[in-house]
Amino acid sequence: MPDHPIIEIKKLSKTYKGTNEPAVKSISLDIYPQEIFGLLGPNGAGKTTTISILCGLFPPTEGNVSIDGLDIRSNLDQIKQLIGVVPQDIALYPTLTARENLTFYGNMYGLRGKELRNQISDFLYVFGLEKFANRLIGKYSGGMKRRVNLIAGLLHHPKIIFLDEPTVGIDVQSRILILNYLKEINKSGTTIIYTSHYMEEAEHLCTRVAIMDQGKIISIGKPSDLLATNPEFKNLENVFIHLTGKDLRD
Amino acid sequence: MYKYFSALRKECLILLRDKAGLAMLFIMPMALIIISSLMQEFAWNSLSKDPVVQILYVNNDKDSLGYNIEKGLRGSGSFEVIDSLNNVPVTQNSAKAAVAKGDYLIAIVIPKGTTKAIRSNVRVMVAKTLAGFGMINPLIMRNIALSNSVDISIYFDVTVKSTFKNALINSIKANNYRIETEMVFKTFNQEIARQFPMYNPPEVNYHEVLQFKESFPSYKTIELIPNTAQHNIPAWTIFAMFFIVIPLTQSLIKEREEGSLFRLLTMPVSYMNLIMAKVNVYIVVCMLQTFFMLIAGIVFLPFFGIPRLQLGNDFFALTLITLVVSMASVGYGLMIGTIAKTHQQAAAFGSISVIILAAIGGLWVPIYLMPTFMRTFSQFSPMNWAITGYYNIFLRGGSLFNILPEVMKLLFFFLGTVLVTGIYRKFKSPLPT
Repeated sequence: MPDHPIIEIKKLSKTYKGTNEPAVKSISLDIYPQEIFGLLGPNGAGKTTTISILCGLFPPTEGNVSIDGLDIRSNLDQIKQLIGVVPQDIALYPTLTARENLTFYGNMYGLRGKELRNQISDFLYVFGLEKFANRLIGKYSGGMKRRVNLIAGLLHHPKIIFLDEPTVGIDVQSRILILNYLKEINKSGTTIIYTSHYMEEAEHLCTRVAIMDQGKIISIGKPSDLLATNPEFKNLENVFIHLTGKDLRD
Repeated sequence: MYKYFSALRKECLILLRDKAGLAMLFIMPMALIIISSLMQEFAWNSLSKDPVVQILYVNNDKDSLGYNIEKGLRGSGSFEVIDSLNNVPVTQNSAKAAVAKGDYLIAIVIPKGTTKAIRSNVRVMVAKTLAGFGMINPLIMRNIALSNSVDISIYFDVTVKSTFKNALINSIKANNYRIETEMVFKTFNQEIARQFPMYNPPEVNYHEVLQFKESFPSYKTIELIPNTAQHNIPAWTIFAMFFIVIPLTQSLIKEREEGSLFRLLTMPVSYMNLIMAKVNVYIVVCMLQTFFMLIAGIVFLPFFGIPRLQLGNDFFALTLITLVVSMASVGYGLMIGTIAKTHQQAAAFGSISVIILAAIGGLWVPIYLMPTFMRTFSQFSPMNWAITGYYNIFLRGGSLFNILPEVMKLLFFFLGTVLVTGIYRKFKSPLPT
């Protein structure tokens, strides 16, 4: 593991206006370059809030966050150039084609011209969508939309990628394709922060995971280490249930 | 800057691909202009040669007043006078029943002897006057009383508006006054001729001296006569322009709900850049809407016999007022779309508030007909500033100088809405929390 973390979170808290209970309670966490870091937890655990703060969507109420050595409060514009975000929702315009969507998002990252066109063509080829480049997103299948949704966050080759449930609701083939691609770009130096409810997927993909519940990190480590410290459980899902309980969450 | 143009291109593509939305944006306002102008023209003017309102008429008088009122109604071109139902002459009871059932809007019953009563009254009045000159024995006149009043019954359906009701009653009263005046004139002549056999009454009919000349002073040297097109098209155009609130708020909220805004806010692009691209596209849409609605007034309405819309003297002033009204409408939509949390909230508040602003702005009922407190409110409606601006150009033939106060107010309104949007966005995240 490299010496210097690419993401440093120190005593991060977030309380939304109009609420008394913090969504995130003084969490501290270091994520190192080239990690695939899994942020796991039941609904309402504080994962999305944490990722939203890291992406610059909300300011933290307390604590500090630095990304690649840049403080999130004072260097947000620079940080936004370094990161790519793949939201859980299909954040694409259904009445635009895949190419039009990707051109628009590429432009927003500062890409344009031939470079962008080539980039889009390459990605569409890799994800098996080159034949459908000019088809409206609204006419794509769920798996195809999910793949374009991923490409939109990768177009500018970010140093860090935030993935919020990137494989939810898609077919096995699309899932394998996406996960393999993520492993590939991770090998070439990209840091991935990933949230999922699929524990088996997280166990195989992530180099480290943090399990969150009620705004706190309750366990952190390599999946193998978490299993080793809880030998009575066969897999990460059982450890997760053991740590977070069986109660239903809002 | 290319990020702005890319966002602009995206907005244009989304609009152009939404065929139903385009139809709503351009065809519906044109249809609104044509239909509303036709309705108003047919309702209030005698454009059509076909009578529009059927009136049951019971003439029990069978004399001057009864025949004259009937002649007046038939001659107006606005009424079809019906005096029999199923080949049976209409009676007071059958007329009343037909109106009560809603089969007819109006029934007029002239009682038997109405003209006779008027004539007798006139004679008594003339005789009493002449008695004052000693031409008739005052002692004889002293005991002669005036006739009792006669009631002309007019039955109205409950749905008839009071303005229409008053217009009809006033028209009948005017007819009555004219007949009475003629009778007075004739009776005086007859009495004088009886007293002075040498007197030869003049063979002239009563002539009304007072004539009303309508005139519409304006900034123009050539007078422009206001008509349905000049009055209604600007009003309905402004109304339709403000309805840009609906598609604009839908676009803003859809972007938020579908997650695109979430992604965009994580990108190195300013929110204001994205919003201004959307605002500018919708301002252009609003101006195009206006262009098509004015075209409807110039090209299509004359096909229906409605006078062609005259655009006034100053094309630049017209473009400027259209631009600032578009900005005000889009600014208002931007503010609602930012503050509203759901499509339902935006659609309900947007449409109802536009209707309220139109009502207090004097788009439906002229401000001078409003009660005083409403007139005060109307001064704060952007639609009032807009209609004043358009009327200054269309009706008064005004130029840029004459619309500057309205232009400034609308511009400040736009800046105000953008400011409110900015402040709201600063303190409230656009994302669900």
